Amino acid sequence: MFTGYNTKKRVNERYRIVGFISSGTYGRVYKAEGRNGRVGEFAIKKFKPDKEGEVQYTGISQSAIREMALCTELSHPNVVHTVEIILEEKCIFIVFEYAEHDLLQIIHHHNQPHRQAIPARTIKSILYQLLQGLVYLHRNWVMHRDLKPANIMVTSAGKVKIGDLGLARLFYKPLHSLFTGDKVVVTIWYRAPELLLGSRHYTPAVDLWAVGCIFAELLSLRPIFKGEEAKMDSKKTVPFQRNQMQKIVEIMGMPSKERWPLLTAMPEYGQLTTLATGNARFHRPQGLENWYQACLKNNQYPPGSSPDTPGPEGFTLLQQLLEYDPQKRLTAEKALQHPYFAVHEKPSDNCFKDSKIKYPVRRVSQDDNDIRSGSLPGTKRSGLPDDSLIGRPAKRLKEG
Amino acid sequence: MAASYWESTQRKYWTFTKQQLMLERKKLEESERNLVNLYPLPDRRLLSIYFYHMLSKMARPLGIRQQALATAQVYVRRFYTKVEIRRTNPALVLATALYLACKMEECPQHIRMILAEARHCWDTSFTDISKIGECEFTLISEMNSQLIIHHPYRSLADLQNHFQLTQEENALAFSIINDHYLTDSPLLHAPHIIAITASILAVVLKPNQGGPQMNAAGVATVLQTLGNVRNASGTPGTQSRVQKLIDWVAESSVDVEALVECTQELISLYEIWESYTDKTCKDQIAKFVKARGLDK
Repeated sequence: MFTGYNTKKRVNERYRIVGFISSGTYGRVYKAEGRNGRVGEFAIKKFKPDKEGEVQYTGISQSAIREMALCTELSHPNVVHTVEIILEEKCIFIVFEYAEHDLLQIIHHHNQPHRQAIPARTIKSILYQLLQGLVYLHRNWVMHRDLKPANIMVTSAGKVKIGDLGLARLFYKPLHSLFTGDKVVVTIWYRAPELLLGSRHYTPAVDLWAVGCIFAELLSLRPIFKGEEAKMDSKKTVPFQRNQMQKIVEIMGMPSKERWPLLTAMPEYGQLTTLATGNARFHRPQGLENWYQACLKNNQYPPGSSPDTPGPEGFTLLQQLLEYDPQKRLTAEKALQHPYFAVHEKPSDNCFKDSKIKYPVRRVSQDDNDIRSGSLPGTKRSGLPDDSLIGRPAKRLKEG
Repeated sequence: MAASYWESTQRKYWTFTKQQLMLERKKLEESERNLVNLYPLPDRRLLSIYFYHMLSKMARPLGIRQQALATAQVYVRRFYTKVEIRRTNPALVLATALYLACKMEECPQHIRMILAEARHCWDTSFTDISKIGECEFTLISEMNSQLIIHHPYRSLADLQNHFQLTQEENALAFSIINDHYLTDSPLLHAPHIIAITASILAVVLKPNQGGPQMNAAGVATVLQTLGNVRNASGTPGTQSRVQKLIDWVAESSVDVEALVECTQELISLYEIWESYTDKTCKDQIAKFVKARGLDK
């Protein structure tokens, strides 16, 4: 080793880069084909060095270490499969199985050119598969912490796969409170109320809130709580996400300590009470049920209970996922046992079954095909990052 | 995975039989025959003690927790089953393993702190963080990114209630687990085997006789009682706590052979510990590091 790190595998010897898919805070993702006997398509995530243009080894970021370790260890049909990890001259590549679609892309397709609801069967199958992946993660003490439509992959065979474990971590007896590690987790629109209220010791229930938000978004084709993120100030204190909390309360009503006994113990509880003053909608919230009924009507799901509508069972599931009190919120396991999945036919393990809708394939840009040297992230913007499709907030990751 | 040792990469790829481990190491030594002959080294267990002293010296001022230290020890042991030690600068490997382990155990330390502390504690010659950064690539690559370690501490926490260990016994069991990282046991046995062994030893040996000075008679008793289990001749109805433990082992499907093996590993560690001196290890490592310019 004194002679330096010896690369054993080379990404370009093993894969041919087809094009660039997306970029994010972590680095860039490329589409690739196998080479030299490796068959199939792949998505290769290239981590960006800690500092841009870094030519020296500076130590791998903790989130990259987490993702590498978890990807190596995890194996479930509803979690994106990791093919291999390549460490090559200061760069880290994680090679994943390729998925043609993701939920953001699917939602986007139904929004344009003219609005057309996602078939009820498709939604049910997506949720069913998503929850199975989540049960697996939680049973293995892994919190995802960044569930959102862009991170849920769907293969052309209709298999749903949880992706992007960049923020995921183990929660078995943490040595420090989770808050100390990452001050900000979960993209703002999918962030659970206990996180917004500054909870230090949050639980996997944060992932279930996000599932609730995703369910709502699949139904209505737009984010249910589309707040604006308050930026961190110069002192790097974490601001109270007033606007996001408002969006939630406008539909759900104010949380109460009767329904959520530990509410008053939340660090930002004081902030919450000031929200109500001078805002009429707080006292007359829309109510989740009204939101749900209006949504079904708008998107022309048939009334009553049938396989063609999420129906009344869909509402109670949504309600129990979007439960303020994290202790009362459904667990992934309990959610799978909800009547929503039991009425009518059994959810398919192919979410496109019986659907005539053809989804476009993933956009791949040709501008940047050089994964090895290539352009360093940030120096060249080609293609459209997934997150920017309809003005999505970027993932926020702040390491303490 | 984190919850299940049975599905883990630790079980699948990093748990060996004694023979497998011996063969791996022999292969490694054969491939570096000249080096091995040129630079003899003390017994692996003595080196492990030396490494442990180095690591804890560095971990203390940084306030690094025992579990991260243990993870680092396992990384070092895994690494040296794949790479001949005489080709490396052990100080760099140790500092890097600790740096990586802290990130994995969610108590990260800045790479500069690790470097500064290594230089302060060990007077190392490497002065640049890029050395640690590069060595991190080597470590991860040799371990195939399999970085999640299942420790016996969690099993011990479960057993503590089950066996009704006293506070002293629990503390002794804990320190026996700490000691087992100086042996090959982490590469040979499942974490629950080690935790059970530690619990039995803690109950059999009175806590005040613990540590490296454990008397051989006490340990022999353990082996004997375990032998009884194998012959299924435990006398039911006896109320002693040792007997209860033994009965439990007999009734459960725990691999008794593994418990015996694990106990023997520990005994031989405690025996060889008597002959340990810091200086021998230090000097012999320094010899090949200096001669081969590995510290540059």
